[in-house]
Amino acid sequence: MSRKLIPYLFVAPMIAFIALFTYIPILTSVDLSFRDWDFLSPDKPFVGLKNYDLILGSHEFWNALRVTAIFTVVSVPLRLALALAIASFLIRETGASRILRGAFFLPSVTSTVSIAVVFSWVFATDHGMANGLIQALGGSRVQWLQTPSLALTVLIIVNTWKQLGYDIIIYIAALQAVPNELYDAASVDGGRKFHVFRRVTFPLVMPTTYFLLVVSVIEAFQVFTIVDVMTRGGPAGGTTMLVTLLYRIGFSLFDIGQGSALAVMLFVILVVLAFVKSKILGKRVHYAS
Amino acid sequence: MLKKLQSGLAVSVVALLGAMAPAQAEVTVDFWHSFGGSSGEALDEIIALFEAENPDIKIQAEHVGNYEDIVTRLQAAIPARRAPDAVILEVTRYGLFAEREVLIDLTPYLDADPLRDDLYDYAREVGVYEGKNYIVPFNSSTPVLYYNRAILERAGIEGEPSLTTFEEVEAVARQIQENLGDEGVFGIAAPGQFARWGLVMGNDSNLIDPATGDIWLDAPNTIEAYDWMSSLVYEHGLASVDAVTAENNGRDAFYAGNVGIMFNSTGNYTSSRAAVGEDLVVRPMPCNKACSVPIGGAGIGILASSEQDVQDAAYKFINFAASAEANAIWFAATGYMPINRHTPDHPVAIEALETQPGIDVAINQLDYAQGRPRPPVVTWMRTSEYDLWEAIALGQRDVTEALTDFAQRTRTEAARLSQ
Repeated sequence: MSRKLIPYLFVAPMIAFIALFTYIPILTSVDLSFRDWDFLSPDKPFVGLKNYDLILGSHEFWNALRVTAIFTVVSVPLRLALALAIASFLIRETGASRILRGAFFLPSVTSTVSIAVVFSWVFATDHGMANGLIQALGGSRVQWLQTPSLALTVLIIVNTWKQLGYDIIIYIAALQAVPNELYDAASVDGGRKFHVFRRVTFPLVMPTTYFLLVVSVIEAFQVFTIVDVMTRGGPAGGTTMLVTLLYRIGFSLFDIGQGSALAVMLFVILVVLAFVKSKILGKRVHYAS
Repeated sequence: MLKKLQSGLAVSVVALLGAMAPAQAEVTVDFWHSFGGSSGEALDEIIALFEAENPDIKIQAEHVGNYEDIVTRLQAAIPARRAPDAVILEVTRYGLFAEREVLIDLTPYLDADPLRDDLYDYAREVGVYEGKNYIVPFNSSTPVLYYNRAILERAGIEGEPSLTTFEEVEAVARQIQENLGDEGVFGIAAPGQFARWGLVMGNDSNLIDPATGDIWLDAPNTIEAYDWMSSLVYEHGLASVDAVTAENNGRDAFYAGNVGIMFNSTGNYTSSRAAVGEDLVVRPMPCNKACSVPIGGAGIGILASSEQDVQDAAYKFINFAASAEANAIWFAATGYMPINRHTPDHPVAIEALETQPGIDVAINQLDYAQGRPRPPVVTWMRTSEYDLWEAIALGQRDVTEALTDFAQRTRTEAARLSQ
């Protein structure tokens, strides 16, 4: 009996940790999403589905969902395609590629707030570096952070630049694991570079692509810091993501019930997306060598 | 041997308890505030003077961030039972905390305190919510008009231009822009939210009726004021769009000598003077259709979760911070308005009034300064107003349509919050 308990004792601290800091907060959020609370009142009256009804009936939610979806649909494929392309060039063990790997990885370990502040200056309309360059080349000023579509584009560029290094490192590891014999065989068969990439490399790094896809979609749906520092969701809601809206409802407007309802909905969206991804892409992912 | 050890231990314990006794007698007041830089240094000086007079009280001051940061952190701290004992709260945002009984009613303290009669009328009024006093002002302000004399002179404007009406302000901004625009100088900074409220009041309107709580966002004079403010950016290009999406950019550009005119809080006086020097000129806000300015800033409240002796100690500090001596130090160092009638007679304030030209403008505006309404919906309105302003200042929405829609949404929210 005691021997059977020992494994459970080993994992108990970690289970307790995860329960305390992950599952209990999730369950609390679900509970709060059915209540009316402002963080201050001692009472938290049960209001049923009212918070969900208010969220689903608000223009802000649908706008935030649309903006987040655009951000995700554009930034995730861009990140993965760029990362795979760059990793293919940096796979060789040369001094230059080692330096470049470090250079690409540097933004991943740099403070997000610092990056966002610096890029706010770069893309400032009147005294920013980007417009300075455009004007030096004879162009006219662009309102980068004041035009909704451009502001969203800037956020996608900055977020891609920040996250790219991590994806590159993961892809390099995956590319290095592809057996050279397969490339040799393809070469003997007269395969062109593009075909070798499409028929050999791409299928063999599919598990990594799938992993990065799952992670980057979650990250894209939860993007907050860059948006909060650079645009605060503006101009006029043009870059308001779901998490930006969640923060505003919960912590600026004191409505924890609606904020929690939005958090639960975000969780459900991510679970559904993960399910869809596994159904569509899961069949194309092969882990066996 | 054992006896010696026992007596030695007993002596040590007595000595240890003796050493701890004064520390136990000391009351510590955790105080959250929003002042960094030179304002933070002035606050430290006031705290040091208070502690010297009250050696049994320690003020544990913590700079938490801006007003919004304080509210956010307080929200999280209250249910976690880690709230401070005293806190700086912005004058339109303490209503909810008062309503939820997070703050104690300071009326009994003030009624028994001669300080009550020393406070200016406005300073007594801004702390009152539904008949009870919840905060005592510490840093009070009104928006004022700042301009950079050197920029105006370079633009060919000699002497002291009249800046009383919107038309006059716009004409000066236009002349700056026309003459110095090629150098990257803008005529005026896009007004921040506090200044926007002031310009609406200067157009004989308000955002919310202070008496009845009715929403006035779609009142004709409010729409007219917003129309003028947004035209400075979108229609005439006299103000940089960068300050529309990030308000502090306008202030920073003024500090850097890239903007001629700025509307901002009198609390920016010291920083503006440090940046612009002798060229800084301070003028009252425009009286376009009426002379009326909002009172802003913040006051200190005491949390209901603290022990009675800590609350008493916190009130002692509030009393000291509102005294003529402390208030004069604060006024001279920051430019925030005096809250105590005796402050202007204090030597520190007299010196500031003599040596810092323009620091008295906000005091002179007190004749027509008004406290702003502070029902719970104000928090929602102020948070949501940024989107509205961005949309109209950047020409993405029609002013009348946007304000009519915003007024309706604010009424709906007010009705929801009152349930």
